[in-house]
Amino acid sequence: MKNRLKVLRAERDWTQARLAEELDVSRQTINAIETGKFEPSLTLAFRAARLFKMRIEEIFQDQAGGDPEGQGDLQAT
Amino acid sequence: MMEQVKTSGNGYQSRLAAGTMRLFWWASAWVAATAVMRFGPKYFWNGTMLLTAFGVALDVAIGIGLILAHKSYLANLDELQRKVYLEAFGITAGVAVVAGVPLSLLDSLGLISFHVEIWHLIIVMSLTYVASIVYGTWRFR
Repeated sequence: MKNRLKVLRAERDWTQARLAEELDVSRQTINAIETGKFEPSLTLAFRAARLFKMRIEEIFQDQAGGDPEGQGDLQAT
Repeated sequence: MMEQVKTSGNGYQSRLAAGTMRLFWWASAWVAATAVMRFGPKYFWNGTMLLTAFGVALDVAIGIGLILAHKSYLANLDELQRKVYLEAFGITAGVAVVAGVPLSLLDSLGLISFHVEIWHLIIVMSLTYVASIVYGTWRFR
């Protein structure tokens, strides 16, 4: 699974530690997600979507393919 | 697109630090209680049954506290660290069975020069657990 966490974080000039604090996880977890070593749970993905005010599929993309538009609206509220 | 979200200290790190300290104190208390249970009858109260029973009860009670503190510690970990700990538990349980059964068999057949004690298994499990956590943490660093 690819993700845009690093880009979104850079746009806000946040460190990994700052993002970790916002998502209530360890900095190591943010690093592991950004480098693709660890895939977050749906709960954490929703939390990230809420934080960045984006849809989950705008942050996380399944590398196996498929049309994200066809998967319904996963907007975090 | 700078956005101000909550800025309330690092909640996760604070919780983790508090949980680690709580676990440390419970573990220290349990080690102390186990030492009292082990050496008390011989060195402190000369085998008095009532005090020995009290020592055992205290050790079990603190042991239960340690288990609950450990459970609470795991519940407060984030999902990556919980995965690391889960894998460490799995490896430790596997090593305990794989190492424990043959060693016990070798001991009962008299094929090894020392007598296998439960402490040997606990030491092997402890070292395996710590090594597994270190490896898991390094893997996701």
